[in-house]
Amino acid sequence: MPAYQRLTRQSIDLWPEFMAELYDHSGSVNVNYDRKGGLVLCLGEKAFEERRALNAQLAEQLRNSDNLDQDLATEMLDRRQLQSLMPNLRLGSEIVGASYCSSDGHANPLYLLAALHAAVRRLGGELLSEHRVETIRRNDGSFVVETEQRHFRASRVVIAAGISSGKLAKQVGLEAPIRPQRGQILVTERVQPLLPLPCSGLRQTTEGTIMIGATHEDVGEDSSTTTEASISLAAKAVRIAPDLAQLRLVRHWSGLRIMSPDGFPIYTESEEFPGAFVVTCHSGVTLAAVHAHVIAASIVRGTFSSDTGPFSHRRFHVNAAA
Amino acid sequence: MIYDVAVVGCGPSGMAAAVKLKNFGLSVLLVDEQPAPGGQIWRGIERNASIMSSASLSALGADYQAGMSSVREFRAANVDYLPSTQVWQIEGDWTLFLTSAGRARRISARAVLLATGAQERPAPFAGWTLPGVMTVGAAQILMKSGDMLPKGRIWIAGSGPLPLLYATQLLKRGKSISGYLDTSPGLDFSAIGKLVGGWRNVPQLIKGIGWQWGMRRKNLLHWKVQGLAAQGNERLEHISWMENSELKSAAADVLLVHEGVVPRIHETLALGCEHRWNDAQRYLAPALSKMRETSRIGLFVAGDAGGIGGWVAAEASGEIAAIGIAARLGAISDVDGIIRQAHLRQRQARALALRPFLDAVYPPPRHDIEGDVMVCRCEEVTASTVKTAADYSGPDMNAVKAATRCGMGPCQGRQCGYTVQSIISKASGQSPEKLGFYNIRPPFKPVTLGELALMEAGNMPN
Repeated sequence: MPAYQRLTRQSIDLWPEFMAELYDHSGSVNVNYDRKGGLVLCLGEKAFEERRALNAQLAEQLRNSDNLDQDLATEMLDRRQLQSLMPNLRLGSEIVGASYCSSDGHANPLYLLAALHAAVRRLGGELLSEHRVETIRRNDGSFVVETEQRHFRASRVVIAAGISSGKLAKQVGLEAPIRPQRGQILVTERVQPLLPLPCSGLRQTTEGTIMIGATHEDVGEDSSTTTEASISLAAKAVRIAPDLAQLRLVRHWSGLRIMSPDGFPIYTESEEFPGAFVVTCHSGVTLAAVHAHVIAASIVRGTFSSDTGPFSHRRFHVNAAA
Repeated sequence: MIYDVAVVGCGPSGMAAAVKLKNFGLSVLLVDEQPAPGGQIWRGIERNASIMSSASLSALGADYQAGMSSVREFRAANVDYLPSTQVWQIEGDWTLFLTSAGRARRISARAVLLATGAQERPAPFAGWTLPGVMTVGAAQILMKSGDMLPKGRIWIAGSGPLPLLYATQLLKRGKSISGYLDTSPGLDFSAIGKLVGGWRNVPQLIKGIGWQWGMRRKNLLHWKVQGLAAQGNERLEHISWMENSELKSAAADVLLVHEGVVPRIHETLALGCEHRWNDAQRYLAPALSKMRETSRIGLFVAGDAGGIGGWVAAEASGEIAAIGIAARLGAISDVDGIIRQAHLRQRQARALALRPFLDAVYPPPRHDIEGDVMVCRCEEVTASTVKTAADYSGPDMNAVKAATRCGMGPCQGRQCGYTVQSIISKASGQSPEKLGFYNIRPPFKPVTLGELALMEAGNMPN
């Protein structure tokens, strides 16, 4: 979806400004952002050629769809070039090379969440935990949001409730066909810097732990972990970098991605109840800057539908009819 | 092979259960982290009984020596036994993932008994991370497993029977102690009121008083101590405390601290068992049936892991759990008769009779943990950072963990969980019971990526 590539690109460009603003509003929470690029490692010649072809195809799509003067800036690196980019990591024997994308960045999602929490409160917003929203209804020209403890009245309501978004969206005349997709991830003990760039699901945090991700499983709302997954993730990591075998696993967890039928975000406003919005996606870190600067601004200005057209929930009805 | 029962932990309750399960004709595997049987209380007992002088052995006390007969009985039962082995994950109905000597593997069992014991309650204070400060439990492990005793000016600070026992053990070994700081609020009327029940277990009570008396005679005791702090540049040099509203200080080389023990609950939390909050001792313990089954069918808990009771109660609970498991697996039918015959309920009640008294005399510390005091040693998070995170991200253990990394290190929150809970509770007014605990993630114990990778299909046999 070219619109999604454009949106991602836009968010990547907005991130430095967004981060600076967030740093001020949150009372100096550092989200460990940097943008040195990212790698997709290729195990075997076949994988290398396939990746090269895919990159060319994506670049072609983007060129045809609009006149962006910058492409996604990917290039293929051979094993020697790759090794010089990551001098502290002994590469597995199967690694032939990698695809390098210079625009890829990295931030700590947990610190981003903490910073957003802090910023909302410091800007005078209110955060209520353990208030599960049961119903949203229209009453006397405004919305009433009901939790077990309290009722709230507002002129606009944004539904960004993860897996529960679909259920709440129905109450304001919107279809948000969200499904959960489980991702499991491993976290190792802290070590010296080994991975200067995120690569193929492996990334090293500022603290020194290495994260190894991730599975893609359709198992409903089951967010438990399986040792089967930790075994295959560990095996993948050791194939990429044999020395990781010595590292201790300290944490194995799973979460549910918020997936729409085509995997792209849903940004939409209710026709039946204007003022009710659904904003949901599974890449909330990359897209955080665009959510803060573009989506929020459109909601405030009332220009939402024209700004976010390609991401309307209506695209799913079109597909169904076709 | 599929075992009938996997028992985790080779302390008093695990051994008692394993012997009984074997006697019921069930196939039993006992897995334990330690190289030899005994758990924490009887750690190193086989070795010490054969190499220690009789004076050193008797200095460890009658409770320690009592373990010898239990260990002999366990050895005689010839249970399949894997020492020096860690259980790093348990999956339902039931697969246990183990590692020993750098090699991971899985085993299967029809039922699981967790007899994983207790851990010392984390009780951080200013300076507790300085070298020279350690817990009484850790010092006692050194005494039992290597006959190592602390050197220099030794101070013991804390509350409960264990530090008194350790101090007595040191004095009997001819070591001098510079002082003993009792941090408990002191005997009050509510505790004396509970003595009536306590008298049902006279030997225990006399033993407790004996410890205190031994200390008092030597004039080492400081009562109702508050505001303990450790100071020093590279390592411990001084300690200070408040006593009768007076600030006191002393030079110290070793400070041993202890504020009671709490059940080990990581496994039952991770497995989604229901837990109950013990408000007197401020800990979580798995909710257990009379036969010690958790809310998950086939998963049982014996000993201190199900609530602190000491070793005599632990042995009885191990036997009760064994009967419960045998009944669950259809190996026995007359459960009540077997329990009656072994006087298990009476033995348990008698062993637990002193507990309300101890709980009242030794309540968990309630002082505020504030400012720069380190809460999470693994990730170096201070009390004030935790409080700020709770203010912003809400009164929620996991939100604070995500915002601060507190509880994400190798100890998996074992050392900071209750401290964080208490800080959030005080800041928000939310009860500790409501706050609960962190989501516990596998592995229970660190395992290397190499060990995991080797378990991939085709790489190794089960």
